[in-house]
Amino acid sequence: MREIALHILDLIENSVRAQATIIMVAIEALPEQDLLRIVIEDNGTGMKAPPETVLDPFYTTKQGKKTGLGLSLFRAAAEATGGRLTIGKSELGPVGVRVTVEMGLTHIDRNPLGDLGSSLAAVVCTNPQVDFRFRLSGGQQACDLRVWDLAAQQGTDLRDGLALGRLVLEAINTQLQACRVLT
Amino acid sequence: MTQRITNPRDLKALQEKVKSEIDLRSGPKDLRITVHMGTCGIAAGARDILTALMHELGAAKVENVSLQQTGCAGLCDQEPMLTLTDKAGGSFRYGRLDKNKVGEIVRDHVLRGQPVLEYLIKA
Repeated sequence: MREIALHILDLIENSVRAQATIIMVAIEALPEQDLLRIVIEDNGTGMKAPPETVLDPFYTTKQGKKTGLGLSLFRAAAEATGGRLTIGKSELGPVGVRVTVEMGLTHIDRNPLGDLGSSLAAVVCTNPQVDFRFRLSGGQQACDLRVWDLAAQQGTDLRDGLALGRLVLEAINTQLQACRVLT
Repeated sequence: MTQRITNPRDLKALQEKVKSEIDLRSGPKDLRITVHMGTCGIAAGARDILTALMHELGAAKVENVSLQQTGCAGLCDQEPMLTLTDKAGGSFRYGRLDKNKVGEIVRDHVLRGQPVLEYLIKA
């Protein structure tokens, strides 16, 4: 995939399928360490196999399929920049999952972050029942955004996925402009 | 302070409360558009299809449509694709989409009730 935002979208889709009611996405640029760190965690039903198994591109829990490429593609993208992908437990739920991806921030083989606003808006729009919490930080800027709080501030109906999606698109794009190292 | 759950009845009550809140947020609509967002769909451009749908439905001020996402439907060569389900339960699966085709589907199928036969996936 050409954008990191598409890998993030793919992993959030995994969390949604695991029936998560809370999904957190944190993206942090650490220029002094030349590091881009992405954390996606949820309180879903957890993984049914150990991490080394779910990272196998020929492992999937979906019936009728023989491949599960999402995690392995993201790991390959991270390793191409000297980084790594690790899977651990999240404190959001009893069997929640936390995926941490570290990439070389200025590495020539790092894909651009891409259209993060559209990726996050897409999952919010189609899953208004999920409590999404986003954190963006880069340089001196940091921003925490909980979609339900944002909707309450703006008077947006939580049943209206389309309106929530548009709200998130605008908010994320505004924050990305502030965090200039997140590109 | 968080309420402690001390017996099955409390747990059941909490379950009912959360379910009613979820139902409130995802109430019934006349049309349901499901965008297939498995890894194959995302790689083929499903996100841009969903973004185009958001803009087109917003511009047309359509309120009777719910947008949903699902995983791979097993037709990876037809991605990006969407499935439109109408009130009568009719299901229309469109494939190999782009932003322009999404605009046509919203104008003709969502607003006028006329499926765009040209973009339907043939069985």
